[in-house]
Amino acid sequence: MEIRIKDLNKNYFSEGKTITALSNVNLTMPANKIFTLLGPSGCGKTTLLRCIVGLEIPDSGEIDIGDEIVWSKDRGILVPPERRGLSMVFQTYAIWPHMNVFDNVAYPLQVRNEPKEEIREKVEKTLRFVQLEGFENRPATKLSGGQQQRVALARALAPEPKVILFDEPLSNLDAKLREETRKELRSFLTNLKITAVYVTHDRIEALSLSDTIAVMKTGRIMEIGTPKEIYFGSGQQFVIDFVGRTNLIEGKVVNIENDGPLISTAMGIIACQTKIAPPVGSIVMVSIRPEFIKLVERDCEKKRNLFQGRVESLVFIGEAYEGEIKVGETRLITKIPATSHIKEGDEINLCIDPDSCTVLLR
Amino acid sequence: MIWTRKVLTPSLIVIVGFLTVCPVAMLLLGSFSEGLGAFGTFTLDKYIKSYTDPALIEIIVNTIVFIIGSALVATALALFMAYLNTRTNIPFKVLFEIISIVPMMIPHILFAVSWAILLNPSNGLINLLLKQILNLQNSPFNIYSLPGMILVEGLLDLPVSYLIIAPAMSSFDVSLEESSKVCGSSNLRTLFKITLPVLRPAILASITLVAIRSLESFAVPSALGMPGRIYLLSTHIYRIIATGFAADYGMAAAVGMSALVASITLIILYRHLTSESDKYVTISSRGYRPALIDLHGAKVPLFTIVAFLSFILIVLPVLVLLYTSFIPYSMVPSLKAFGMMSWKHWLAVLKDPISLLSLKNSLFLGIAGATLGVLLTLFVSYTIVKLRTTASGILESLSFLSFSFPGIVIGVGFMWFFVRTPLYATIGSLLIGYIATYLPYGIRPLTSAFVQIHRDLEESSRVCGGGMLYTLRRIIVPLLIPGIVSAWILMATMFVRELSVSVVLSRPGNEVLAVQILRFAEDGLLGKLSALGILMIVVSTTLVVLASAAGAKLTKLQKEG
Repeated sequence: MEIRIKDLNKNYFSEGKTITALSNVNLTMPANKIFTLLGPSGCGKTTLLRCIVGLEIPDSGEIDIGDEIVWSKDRGILVPPERRGLSMVFQTYAIWPHMNVFDNVAYPLQVRNEPKEEIREKVEKTLRFVQLEGFENRPATKLSGGQQQRVALARALAPEPKVILFDEPLSNLDAKLREETRKELRSFLTNLKITAVYVTHDRIEALSLSDTIAVMKTGRIMEIGTPKEIYFGSGQQFVIDFVGRTNLIEGKVVNIENDGPLISTAMGIIACQTKIAPPVGSIVMVSIRPEFIKLVERDCEKKRNLFQGRVESLVFIGEAYEGEIKVGETRLITKIPATSHIKEGDEINLCIDPDSCTVLLR
Repeated sequence: MIWTRKVLTPSLIVIVGFLTVCPVAMLLLGSFSEGLGAFGTFTLDKYIKSYTDPALIEIIVNTIVFIIGSALVATALALFMAYLNTRTNIPFKVLFEIISIVPMMIPHILFAVSWAILLNPSNGLINLLLKQILNLQNSPFNIYSLPGMILVEGLLDLPVSYLIIAPAMSSFDVSLEESSKVCGSSNLRTLFKITLPVLRPAILASITLVAIRSLESFAVPSALGMPGRIYLLSTHIYRIIATGFAADYGMAAAVGMSALVASITLIILYRHLTSESDKYVTISSRGYRPALIDLHGAKVPLFTIVAFLSFILIVLPVLVLLYTSFIPYSMVPSLKAFGMMSWKHWLAVLKDPISLLSLKNSLFLGIAGATLGVLLTLFVSYTIVKLRTTASGILESLSFLSFSFPGIVIGVGFMWFFVRTPLYATIGSLLIGYIATYLPYGIRPLTSAFVQIHRDLEESSRVCGGGMLYTLRRIIVPLLIPGIVSAWILMATMFVRELSVSVVLSRPGNEVLAVQILRFAEDGLLGKLSALGILMIVVSTTLVVLASAAGAKLTKLQKEG
């Protein structure tokens, strides 16, 4: 089911101050896709999720789920959470400690007064799906973190909802388990044909899991796009900075060529290949991701953007070196292949492909 | 929300405020008044009279020695036990669980009296036995002395101290010790140089809490101190109002003020220490248990000490009472003694109208008082944990302060109040006095129960389709039941055995068990005392068993939905 959010606003009042949690949010979350709300803590992503599920009441706007309006200020509609037919996985998992695994998973079915036999079958099926068969009679709180997370997922899946919401479900798992669970979650959700709304502050989680990402900041949607569009194509400094590491270099537009502007910076002229056409003379930022700064022997393939620099520091991080290279007075972070033979202090040539240079207007 | 803001919180503040502030205010007022019947004009007479009494110096010195002594005895024993349990391979660890819970069920007055039966200088059973065996002229032991009182009070407060020290000891970050050992220290040196210093806040907290409890204590000072003419503040107050021809409640109030000030100072110190200890004791989240220290040859002797302690804490008092209730007069167990056993004392108690009345009253106070108390604390804890407004802060401070109020002082304060109401000398006055004094004992388990119910647990039920009432029935109530049951048990057992508030508020017509037992002790009627004492233990144990069974049953029903 599609979720449409129209002009949603929400403010909190705390100690005489007004805190804006959501400011004019407009979104459409397409049916049967994974939609991620990404942003730093306090950006309003969790508030938005809680508004969708009905645990929080917005100040104004409208929320539609499928064909139903679940909240509308103007029409005076408020469907309580228990009648929205959604499922949610909480950050704390919210496993009920006085129930065993079976009862936790069966709960949403028992609420609907389904026949006992049917409940048993569905719970069994769901537990098999999340690979927890045989755990029915275990006290839920005696399970490991990863297993509890699966119980929470099973409970959300058991009623076969059309929409499932995730509030940072992986943030309480350790790094390795988080990676595994992320992959599993991706395959679960793709197999199920279900609309998933996923809230996280972890960029890797967002990039690897989502069909669509909405980046949020101080209650506003900054940008919406596919993971690739967000990572490579964003024109906003905040978004670029938030979804990955980057070098930001200030400069002035000196000329516009066919395929993009030439920008004069402290490290020299950088040619950018982009559709954005800032006026000549304007001050802009150039963003270059570390993985696109390449070391070359002599010249670049495209004969553009060749710079000379000195290796300031070189740190081995396993899959590569992380190098800091000084071009003039500008320091660039780069990723250098682990097989490279360069040393600290070496004078090197580096090359930046114009279509990896993003121009940010000020 | 409007309901909670407009109705619930204000009415709770009124009720709790009345229960805690009223006795203190009346006590203050009373201490400046002429007499219980009429306040009269403002006067300092009572203060002058009570604080120029030359005997007061000795009473204060006695009190200080008593509270410090029992605090040290209880804490030292608790440290010893907690260390053995959490850090060594001592066998039968279940014994430690028993020691930390079961003694709370034995009424303090009975525990004290059973020691008097064993060790009083004229016909204490152990004294008689030793005199026979060793052919002594005089009794070797005298429990009616400060050391005797300190020992018994220390044993009584051992469980309280253990419950503070054991968790601190087991959450202790072992790597602190391991690094000391890596540096070449022996186990013993590590214990004294690292373990004990790091545990210092917990140790100080335990000493303070036991000091508060022994300052409040009335059972031991009355059953063991008064026969030996050793008076403490609490028994001094009791002497002023209960003995002699003219009970002087003004003087009692004036003396009570210093006990109150002392206990409030101690409780503030205690709160300071516990908030310190949260910072201090490093809790390791690595979740692996440290290697237990192998006791080798010391295992058997150390275990013998622990077994002996549990024996004298739990088994001995009951055995002594049971034995005494059947024999005609104090005598060492022998064939002759067993031959003379009879139901005489039991029949006498069961025919004694006052004993029966006190049994009935205490049972009623236990059941009704605990039920009302739990109901009240349920709302108070909800307000403290879930609403978190300014009002909940006030409620928390009030209930926290009242934790330190000595029962007999609260009793005197309420006396000044009740004398002006029709409640005077009714069972209602006791009910109010009890709930006021023991409110914090209900708030503790219930606040932790509410804390356990994380907001997510309610919300996830609502998202799953459970409405408000469904969520209340299947999630919130079942999660609260254990807290409710333990609060009820705690209050019910405290009320059945209540002594220090009752000695003031209990009048002819509203006698209660503990006061009746004290009367028997004062009159030397040990046989009747023991029979009634056993009945008292049976009553509170039955309440505990029934409440636990009801709790288990309810939980089961709720689970099945």
